[in-house]
Amino acid sequence: MKKIIATLAVVLCFVGTAMAQDELSFERKQAIDSLALEKVRDLSKYIKIVGSKETPFSEANRVIDRAEELFMSDAEIGVSSLSSNTITYYRVRKYLEHLMRLNYDRVEIEWYNIEYVSDLQRQPDGTYVGVITIFQTFRGYDAEGNLVYKDTTKKDITVYVKRKETQIGGRTIGFWDVLLGDMRVKETTNR
Amino acid sequence: MKNRITTVIMVLLAVFVTLGGTTSCKSKKQLAKEAAEAEYKSRVEQAVKDLNAILDDETLWTLEEKEARVQTIKDWNLQNAEVDDLLFQVEKKLARERAQKEEEERNKIQQQEQEAINVTLEKNFNNIARAGSTSQANRLINETLGMFESANVPVLIIIKQNADFNDYDKPTTIENYLNYVKDQKKASEKIFDIKYNANGKINELELIKK
Repeated sequence: MKKIIATLAVVLCFVGTAMAQDELSFERKQAIDSLALEKVRDLSKYIKIVGSKETPFSEANRVIDRAEELFMSDAEIGVSSLSSNTITYYRVRKYLEHLMRLNYDRVEIEWYNIEYVSDLQRQPDGTYVGVITIFQTFRGYDAEGNLVYKDTTKKDITVYVKRKETQIGGRTIGFWDVLLGDMRVKETTNR
Repeated sequence: MKNRITTVIMVLLAVFVTLGGTTSCKSKKQLAKEAAEAEYKSRVEQAVKDLNAILDDETLWTLEEKEARVQTIKDWNLQNAEVDDLLFQVEKKLARERAQKEEEERNKIQQQEQEAINVTLEKNFNNIARAGSTSQANRLINETLGMFESANVPVLIIIKQNADFNDYDKPTTIENYLNYVKDQKKASEKIFDIKYNANGKINELELIKK
């Protein structure tokens, strides 16, 4: 009986230690929360650059590569329109290339109210998953500078954050790999 | 008779002059010898005193002044066993101090050079972020890349410092980081550490979120 109790105590001790190691301190959790939000803000800048008609072609292509690296390989981005109830989902590169070739003379894209709707939660495999919502206002102008299309879309982006390790200069670097998942359209208005 | 007396006087005078001169010469040599001995003794005492003071760090002399003092003592060529032994010890001590001083000076120069590189790098990051055009930003990027071993030099970004380890963002390369600064129009990291190769080019850059 004593042996069983002792064994249980040792097992509980190990489990407790393992759980404590999995738990991030408030400050570390805050740091990865901010990192994931920053990646979404970075994406907003990339989308703005790719959408701008003033961006040179080579620069736009380079930025598309950078933007694509922010996403998981199979991630999709939803596209909506005021003229249709259909939401079409494109692979990230396809979406960005489509954005680059939009048939307007000038395009303005603004993202705002970027915030968590679902905090990063630790999954059994150690990945932290959360959802960030954004509001995107799109404006398309013709050659005369007239606004010909405008909509505001609320989109939800799933974010995945996982701790990984790599070797650099002979030392092990522990880093947080933030990847964006699908970007789903929640609502589109003409505001 | 008169001649005889004169001869005797002359002989006596000659003997007197000769004896007197010899006695006087001997006295001068003696005096000189004594003076030399006194000076030698004084120099030995002074050398022992100075060398012991240098050995025991009891002087306010600079390293250069200590080296000059040792040279003066060596120039005296005292040929004294105690002085020679002290000279041997002091020369060893001063050689160590000289090597340490030269290393400190080298480190100081290196630190000044690295601080200058830090300032230039951070200035370039800010200028790239604030560049008025893509071409201006690209020119600054190329200029900055010249400070690095290659465009693929790793850039690590600390997002959180912990007690015994750091949390990093995903590592990137200097070329991608500089383009990131250009695209995002922000330089929100400051330099934490820089590593250089033998040619003085940066081969690893560690940044930290401001």
